[in-house]
Amino acid sequence: MPVLEIEDVTKTFQTEKSQISVLEHVSFPVDKNEFVCLVGPSGCGKSTLLRIIAGLEKADSGQILFHGQLQTSPNPKITMIFQLFGLLPWKTALDNVEVPLEVLGMKKDTREEVAKGYLRMVGLEGFENTYPHDLSGGMKQRVGIARALALQPEVLLMDEPFSSLDELTAKTLRTQVLEIWRDPSIPTNTLVMVSHNVEEAVYMADRVIVMSPRPGRIIGEVKVDLPRPRVKYLRDSKYFNRIDDVVAILEKGKQQIEAES
Amino acid sequence: MTFVKNPEILSLPYYTFRTLLRITVTLGISIAWGVSFGILASTNKTASMVLVPFIDLLQSVPILGYFPAVLILLVSLFQGSELAIELSAILLLFTSMAWAIFFGVVGAVKGIPVNVIESAQSFGLKGSKYVRHVILPAIVPALVSGATLAWCDGWFFMIAAEYIEYAGTTYWVPGLGSFLAKAAYVYGDINLSAVLLVLITATVVYINFLTWHRLMERATAGTYKPVLKLDLSGVGQLGVIKAIGPRGWLHLGNHVHWPKSLTAASHRLRKYTRLEKAIALTLALVLVFSIVYIVAAQVSLDLIKQGLSSYPADELVNLPSYIALTMGRLGVAYVISLSVALGMGIMAAEHKKFAAVFYPIYDIGQAVPILALFPVLFIALSRAFGGILGLEMTSIIMLVLDMIWYMFLNIVSAIKNIPSEIREVGKLFGFKGLKRITHVVIPCILPAIVTGSILSWGTGWNTIIFSEYMPYGANTIYLDPTMINQTYAVGHVFPVSINVSDVAGLHTWQTQAYFNSTHLQCINVSEGRFLTDAGKTQFDPGMINNTSGSVGPINSTLIENGQGMNGSGQLTMIYFRVINLGNSEISLSEPPKMLDSSLRIIPASKVYSLPGLGSYLDKTGYLYGNTILLILLLGIIAAIVLSMEALVWRRLLRKFEKYHAEV
Repeated sequence: MPVLEIEDVTKTFQTEKSQISVLEHVSFPVDKNEFVCLVGPSGCGKSTLLRIIAGLEKADSGQILFHGQLQTSPNPKITMIFQLFGLLPWKTALDNVEVPLEVLGMKKDTREEVAKGYLRMVGLEGFENTYPHDLSGGMKQRVGIARALALQPEVLLMDEPFSSLDELTAKTLRTQVLEIWRDPSIPTNTLVMVSHNVEEAVYMADRVIVMSPRPGRIIGEVKVDLPRPRVKYLRDSKYFNRIDDVVAILEKGKQQIEAES
Repeated sequence: MTFVKNPEILSLPYYTFRTLLRITVTLGISIAWGVSFGILASTNKTASMVLVPFIDLLQSVPILGYFPAVLILLVSLFQGSELAIELSAILLLFTSMAWAIFFGVVGAVKGIPVNVIESAQSFGLKGSKYVRHVILPAIVPALVSGATLAWCDGWFFMIAAEYIEYAGTTYWVPGLGSFLAKAAYVYGDINLSAVLLVLITATVVYINFLTWHRLMERATAGTYKPVLKLDLSGVGQLGVIKAIGPRGWLHLGNHVHWPKSLTAASHRLRKYTRLEKAIALTLALVLVFSIVYIVAAQVSLDLIKQGLSSYPADELVNLPSYIALTMGRLGVAYVISLSVALGMGIMAAEHKKFAAVFYPIYDIGQAVPILALFPVLFIALSRAFGGILGLEMTSIIMLVLDMIWYMFLNIVSAIKNIPSEIREVGKLFGFKGLKRITHVVIPCILPAIVTGSILSWGTGWNTIIFSEYMPYGANTIYLDPTMINQTYAVGHVFPVSINVSDVAGLHTWQTQAYFNSTHLQCINVSEGRFLTDAGKTQFDPGMINNTSGSVGPINSTLIENGQGMNGSGQLTMIYFRVINLGNSEISLSEPPKMLDSSLRIIPASKVYSLPGLGSYLDKTGYLYGNTILLILLLGIIAAIVLSMEALVWRRLLRKFEKYHAEV
């Protein structure tokens, strides 16, 4: 049975003057240990879909099943990291990681130890008492990752997690996320990422789901069968072929929309 | 409810017209001044170095504090003509209206994006063309919002500007504010006052909807919008926030958020090079020395000594307790406003149903000119709880009503501006109820709370000057009404009594009576029993002039009793003979003068006064006209305001700023 099932999700936003349909009949499953990436043009509703999966938004119709159970509100087993990191600026790195644990009712001593452990894991030892203000973008995203992992989720949702970082930092963090995913000692083994960077998607994911311009529909899927670690295939034609496959579907979706209007 | 017909009610349309005209003219002057000086200060570094700190300083002195000095200067300049009072009313309104426009313009010009400036320069736009095509379009929205605020500020101060009691004399110009003041203070007519208050509020709301809302929609539509956003969130000076302060909330509140740094001088200085700092310092020193020189050389030392030895300088020993009491009142009002505004703000921003009920109330509430509410509130509360307790309650309520809008505005807009990612994080990690408010909402809006606090304290100082001191009721020296509303035959001799009521420590009094000499003849003046009951007096009936129809100045002084006389009674009796048929008015000189045994002026109307810095300032300025002492007290208030800003608010802001820079 898949870990996550996205079933026929439709979402419309109501503005003052009009209705904007952002998602139409989106369905796909995500298996255990799978890394799925959603790509699509800006405004196609992929971030909204991620928020529906996280329980932050409600779908107008359709449903999200987590281990076959209906998922309607935030669940510590499914957490998320954000494009702009989503750190509370008035709390230190350590406090930022601790706060969700406090909400879960963990005792002060335990949660401090747990939080320190995760900060160490993402390479932020010594920055526990630093405020986000004094951290670089990459370090902030590491705090975001530590905060998400500290809840020991099964599913990690990532909303364009590397797009506001410089390329070198992004590269390092991509590798680190892949290592965490593959680490059998960490329970987080199912990843769903939203990206508009096709190279990044093909490099990281097992499966790339391609969405059409608004209203977002699934218009194709590319299985990436490159062996891991993929660093050594980055100049391989197989890698470029998969990229071309994704781009071709994106182009087709764009033409279809233009033809319709 | 019973209405006593007031003869002035017929002049209501005229009064409304005069007030509207006065505020409109002042708005015109304020716009002209604000635009020209605003553009100058924002494009010329030298001008900005001189102008902005100067205006910052002026802003920190409560307007109502220096008003008596302005008034007396103009009255002496124009020899007491009505023009002088009109001019000082306009000047007071101007000083309350101009800042909003000035700082709005400065903020807008500074907020023009660099790429716009650079592209304009690359196309060779210079001088007047640059002003016309780049600067003017950029300041339009700020100008509209600044003018809206200025307009509301004008209404706020209108009642204070139109009706002034100074050194025992009442100066007023025809208008809604003075009519309301008279209705409340002179006639003590609560029904009329309440009706006038409603009328004023309705006028403000009506005009707001008719003009400003529409203008605002047009100004913020389309092309100007990004510029507007920039100008409001970009430059974070006290003035700019004030410029988009409470009353422009509906349109602009959403952009008022997280000012980078509040006030001016130190922040600006931080950015200057050493040379510029040295220049600024030199200029400041020259300015201070020239002021000291002018004061020392032009105003003789004797005048200063005299100022510091005449009334009410003897109360200077109480200054620490006055400061403590006034700060206490402000503090109590601040705590109440903060907690209510926080509760309401969170409710309004988070619950749509509450907001739907609350915002219309807010919209009307913010249009009530609060200073105009004062007399109405005071009459109601003093009847229920007595004069002093009533005034204490009125004072606190006024302060709360005044402070709360600033707090509320800042809190609501800050909550609405909490970044969506922070909201999502709160939701994702399960913050709910109180935990959400303490962990997410309140830390997020702390800078806005500080901004709101600065603004509330600023406006609070103005209000407390107005609300600790209350001249109330009819003149205490009056003609006995039972004796003047009479009909007599030709040849009949009748007395008219001049009485005093509720006076404390009366030692000396003086008045003058006028009558129509074609109908009446004055034949004798004798002293009443009020003062003679206390001891031996020296009574002077003055001159009887049966050609022009006047008698006096009639005066009397106690020569034995050191304490003076308390209570009510008859001061003097004037005897008239009827010589021709017809109507004759008998009236008293305006105003009668009364002194106590220390030769201090006793207010000619009843005064309620709460011990405090505000009432002390009022007594100094409005009752005794002691300019030297007034300047000293204003200096003390400015020092308190500035040091609170430097020691408390700016520190807090710097601290929060650091942790909020991300968001």
